[in-house]
Amino acid sequence: MEVNVLFLLFSLLITIFSLISSTKSSSISILGVTPQDENYYQTETIKCRNGSKKFNRAQLNDDFCDCPDGTDEPGTSACPHGKFYCVNVGHLPVSLHSSKVNDGICDCCDGSDEYDGEVKCPNACWEAGKVTRHKLKKKIDIYKEGVTIRKREVERAKQAIAKDKEELLKLKNNEKSLKGLVKKLKAHKEQIEKVEEKERLVKEKEEMMKMAVDGKSDDEQKESSSSTTLDSESNGPSDEPSVDQKDEYENTEGMPTDGSESTEGLLREELGRHVASRWTGEKTEHQVEEVSPNKYNHGDNNEIPESTGDKDHENSDDANHVRKDYEDSTTRLSDIQERIASLTEKLKQDFGMEKEFYFFYDQCFETKQDKYVYKVCPYKDASQEEGYRKTRLGQWEKFENSYGSMLFSNGDGCWNGPGRSLKVKLRCGLKTELTDVNEPSRCEYVALMSTPIHCLEGKLEELERKLESMRSEQLQGGHDEL
Amino acid sequence: MKPLAPLLLSLLFLTSQTVLSFKREEFRNCHQTPFCKRSRARSPGACTLTPHSISISNGDLTATLLSKNDDQIRPLILSLSVYQDGILRLKIDEDYDHPDPAAPKRRFQVPDVIVPEFESKKLWLPRLSTETVGGESSPSTVVYLSDGYDAVLRHDPFEIYIRDKKSGNQKLISLNSHQLFDFEQLRVKQEKQDSDYTEDSGSDDNWEERFRSHTDKRPYGPQSISFDVSFYNAEFVSGIPEHATSLALKPTRGLGVEKDSEPYRLFNLDVFEYLNESPFGLYGSIPLMISHGKEGRSAGFFWLNAAEMQIDVLGDGWDAESGIELVKQKSIDTFWMSEAGIVDAFFFVGPGPKDVVKQYTSVTGRPSMPQLFSIAYHQCRWNYRDEEDVANVDAKFDEHDIPYDVLWLDIEHTDGKRYFTWDPVLFPNPEEMQKKLAAKGRHMVTIVDPHIKRDDSFSLHKEATEKGYYVKDSSEKDFDGWCWPGSSSYLDMVNPEIRSWWGDKFSYENYVGSTPSLYIWNDMNEPSVFNGPEVTMPRDALHHGGIEHRELHNAYGYYFHMATSNGLLKRGGGNDRPFVLSRAFFPGSQRYGSVWTGDNTADWDHLRVSVPMILTLGLTGISFSGADVGGFFGNPEPELLVRWYQLGAFYPFFRAHAHQDTKRREPWLFGEKNTRLIREAIRVRYMLLPYYYTLFREANTTGLPVMRPLWMEFPSDETTFSNDEAFMVGSSLLVQGIYTERAKHASVYLPGKELWYDIRTGATYKGGKTHKLVASEESVPAFQRAGTIIPRKDRLRRSSTQMVNDPYTLVIALNSSQAAEGELYIDDGKSYEFLQGAFIHRRFVFANGKLTSINLAPSSTSKSQFSSKCIIERIILLGYSPGPKNALIEPANQEVQVELGPLMLEGGRGSSVVTIRKPAVQVSDDWTIKIL
Repeated sequence: MEVNVLFLLFSLLITIFSLISSTKSSSISILGVTPQDENYYQTETIKCRNGSKKFNRAQLNDDFCDCPDGTDEPGTSACPHGKFYCVNVGHLPVSLHSSKVNDGICDCCDGSDEYDGEVKCPNACWEAGKVTRHKLKKKIDIYKEGVTIRKREVERAKQAIAKDKEELLKLKNNEKSLKGLVKKLKAHKEQIEKVEEKERLVKEKEEMMKMAVDGKSDDEQKESSSSTTLDSESNGPSDEPSVDQKDEYENTEGMPTDGSESTEGLLREELGRHVASRWTGEKTEHQVEEVSPNKYNHGDNNEIPESTGDKDHENSDDANHVRKDYEDSTTRLSDIQERIASLTEKLKQDFGMEKEFYFFYDQCFETKQDKYVYKVCPYKDASQEEGYRKTRLGQWEKFENSYGSMLFSNGDGCWNGPGRSLKVKLRCGLKTELTDVNEPSRCEYVALMSTPIHCLEGKLEELERKLESMRSEQLQGGHDEL
Repeated sequence: MKPLAPLLLSLLFLTSQTVLSFKREEFRNCHQTPFCKRSRARSPGACTLTPHSISISNGDLTATLLSKNDDQIRPLILSLSVYQDGILRLKIDEDYDHPDPAAPKRRFQVPDVIVPEFESKKLWLPRLSTETVGGESSPSTVVYLSDGYDAVLRHDPFEIYIRDKKSGNQKLISLNSHQLFDFEQLRVKQEKQDSDYTEDSGSDDNWEERFRSHTDKRPYGPQSISFDVSFYNAEFVSGIPEHATSLALKPTRGLGVEKDSEPYRLFNLDVFEYLNESPFGLYGSIPLMISHGKEGRSAGFFWLNAAEMQIDVLGDGWDAESGIELVKQKSIDTFWMSEAGIVDAFFFVGPGPKDVVKQYTSVTGRPSMPQLFSIAYHQCRWNYRDEEDVANVDAKFDEHDIPYDVLWLDIEHTDGKRYFTWDPVLFPNPEEMQKKLAAKGRHMVTIVDPHIKRDDSFSLHKEATEKGYYVKDSSEKDFDGWCWPGSSSYLDMVNPEIRSWWGDKFSYENYVGSTPSLYIWNDMNEPSVFNGPEVTMPRDALHHGGIEHRELHNAYGYYFHMATSNGLLKRGGGNDRPFVLSRAFFPGSQRYGSVWTGDNTADWDHLRVSVPMILTLGLTGISFSGADVGGFFGNPEPELLVRWYQLGAFYPFFRAHAHQDTKRREPWLFGEKNTRLIREAIRVRYMLLPYYYTLFREANTTGLPVMRPLWMEFPSDETTFSNDEAFMVGSSLLVQGIYTERAKHASVYLPGKELWYDIRTGATYKGGKTHKLVASEESVPAFQRAGTIIPRKDRLRRSSTQMVNDPYTLVIALNSSQAAEGELYIDDGKSYEFLQGAFIHRRFVFANGKLTSINLAPSSTSKSQFSSKCIIERIILLGYSPGPKNALIEPANQEVQVELGPLMLEGGRGSSVVTIRKPAVQVSDDWTIKIL
């Protein structure tokens, strides 16, 4: 039994010891170490994380870098790659680059990064945390509503797509039957025309014979007319002086591309502007382009009319009637085909995982910034307008960043560089609107667009978790949320 | 390398670039410049002047120069003066006392360049001696110059030279040995004199001169000066910036040089997309040439003249056709031509390259002591768009843990290019913006250019107009030229009153929105005039006191820089060191701030040429200079950008900059790996800041540049003479750039007899050898010379400001006798207290296994003191065999641990090195540490 007693005693001792050590480690935590990492530092000899070296506990946070990866100096600025963890009770914990420890600047809201006495950092976590939580809550509210709207949009899109597909099917059927009709009418028309042609030939012959009686005069006429034709052909190039004029115009006024521009003879101000333009790339004469209304139209006549129209034309004979029918039908057919093409084109687009961007297809969004109006038409193009001057920022290319942004590229060319481009970054918001267009690099534009379509459920959950964790931290800190 | 290859390469480069950008036809070549064309056509032996009535007056030798023929308008007056440390000064000007025809005005002598202290170094000549030098028919007048040197004035033919008594009276440097001297005298235009312009008129007797659509009235007729200068026993000549060309100047005339080759031009110009390998004049001018030869002998020649200058380096056989007797002693002959001004020339005897630079900077002034922040990393772009952009860029540096000290705002920050104003939409709260940066210890620089928008609602313009402060055109109306704001006028900065008025504009009250952390950038001060002849001001424009622009052109930017710098000095109550970056420069610019090499291009050739360009600036007094990292025009490939950071981190002035049409290129925009490489490059500079600051102080006291040609440190090593792709930082570091894409190897010549230590791996390389190294993408090759000690600060911070209290690391590189030494200079980094002795200056000496810290600061009783709490946290011994476990610190009598550790905490590779762990000695104290 002695063995048993000893064993019990021994295990009791171990339990006590481990209890002591665990309370010790949680009460005197190592400066700058995350709670998860504290266990790593429990041993007497500690390894550098990259395995380069070992160090003892006395060397931990002794303000001398033993491990170039920073393992031994989580709480000081001694190592270049270190990370300093501040608990920030009441707010969110943060990991700082160790270059910010004791640098005289308060980085952690709890002030724990400045402990050498050079600077006093008041604990601002509670106030800052409150503001952050407040903001976060507001954001979550928007997300919640946004997620609902988004769901509704996804549902609507689903129906609209189904409708489009249905229409497409119907159109294709119509196309098929209309093609049959056109074919029939064509045959009929050709038949009639053949008859007409025959009649015409007979008539012509009769007239020729009548003419032959009158003799030569006709030949002469023929000759002279053919010579006129020849003449006018040989005179062709000189008949188009405008081409030459245009060339000349381009030579003197256009921007030469070979760099051999002549600046002699320019007025002094023109010369100044001209030389300045080498650095700025601004054109001395702005290229002006008229804004033309969007040419795209829907084609409302996508239904085949039941009848081919008015029949009581006064002098309607069979031939004219058939011809008109034929023309009407081909027009209708091409209308339908056009509509089919546009629908097919539309349905080909990438509307997102849940087709959530479906309604972006036929919409344009505008925002005015200073003197410019920016217009973004998803799946089509984007432009910057100033009065009547329009600059194309790009044509639709694709979504990027897992439907987080829209990319327009190959816009109007830039001096000394490639074509313009625009990236539209999406944010969650209750209304779809374009905000904030910027040009961080010359001719590379970045815009922000808020839309419920970007209010993702996953992100909402993440935000809710974040708020939850902040609340629990704050509870630990002993504050009450007001 | 075969000489043809670079020529071919540069030709290829020329042709391809010319088509795209550089507008050669807009700039005059020598043939289109009458004075240059005519001077170049002169034959050796043409000078007919001889000195008469040689005497001593006011301690100077004076004489009258008269022509042997009767072709002189009035006599010329010559004077020779001698100054301490082997400096001879020669002046030649018109005789203004001559009554008929009297000179219509005084020719321009450049004021405010020579420092006042220099005059006090004049040695009063006691007597002249006349002798007939060996075998010559004509006598010479000889004066004592300095220990071992005489200055000699030979009478006929007229020649001035310095002879070295120690080498058997051999000539060192001479003027007019080939009798090319010519001095066109001022004339008065006669009523009926025709102003017709005839092309190719060899006599240059015309008054008006035309170039493209511009006419220069030349009211005093041609007034150029030219002469030849010879450097004896020289292997090469260097200097006369600014040209994008090699450090050793290639001949521009002579055998094997193309017939239409241009002389080196000194004419400050704003050149759009300038070319590599061209003698073409760029933004600044310093007419100082330094010769160097075997046995490490150097000499210098400086012509203080601010008019357009053209300088030929004459190669072998240049005078083959002249038939004149060949000079017996081997020499490099040069030919100097200037459009106007006087002869005010200085000869420097050396004997070493460092001595020449010291002598030159004793005339034009030592470089000013910069603030610590300004020698750290600068982030610039045309343009950081608005306050939000500024805040974002600033935050990104912190996010990526990359230090930087200064954020720059180019012209777009202003309200319509009216300097001293802010765009109200983009920068509504400039003070708040600067304060936010300042809270992180960072500074801001805004641009202020010399062209003033002609806008009556702009108070600066209104005031300048009312006060008559603008440069006038030839009809005496305010000169109106075109620049960024459109129609602009230019302040007449040669007038001290206007400079002082300008300086007041920088006070916090006048410059609304400025704060104490704001400093200034002067651009376009050549001056750049978009619609002027050669994109600058017409030569017949008029300055204060009737000075023609042609006479002071090259100094215009200098006076502007001076006025701005003095304004900042005034703003800070005289106790805040100004920081002003200037693009144009002139002798003396080193006293007012830093310069950069202007609008370079993002290609490998411009990376390569940045080194000789900066080295040349350093040789000619301007130590604080750099090139735009990344290249201003164009988009660098990430590899080029990284290489540029790796090299640029060693430039004295380290700034990244880019044209507004380039893609964004902040360090974090090229993927994780490139971000890391750029971060490491910048961090190396921050680690070495204590070493750099010590070197800047050395420059401030001696004139020696921070970045030096190898031959400045190893003057008699002939292999270094043609090397301008590697350079020394101070005397302890050697850096070799990598200038090609995907380089696999790098050839590095390491001079001297001692070892060199790779600064990252500690690997050793023998001196006196060219090593073929494997090129690493991590860094460019850099080595610490054995026998030196480099102080570092290994802790990295947001900016240099937060490093003040951080501990030091000393890297001791032992030489073959297990010894080394180095220095460390510390002060408050911003004020002028150091002038009163408020600084720490230590010398560290390692010998016999013991490191000693010795005070170098005068143990003055002065009231100003500078103290530092900094300790030394780590001492690294390169070349010390491992083994010792402990070291003893005295007088504390304390033992510390010796162990093996990394040479660099970040970016370091290679085996561990002997490290004294935490000696924790105060940097300001005397102590010794003995390895046990």
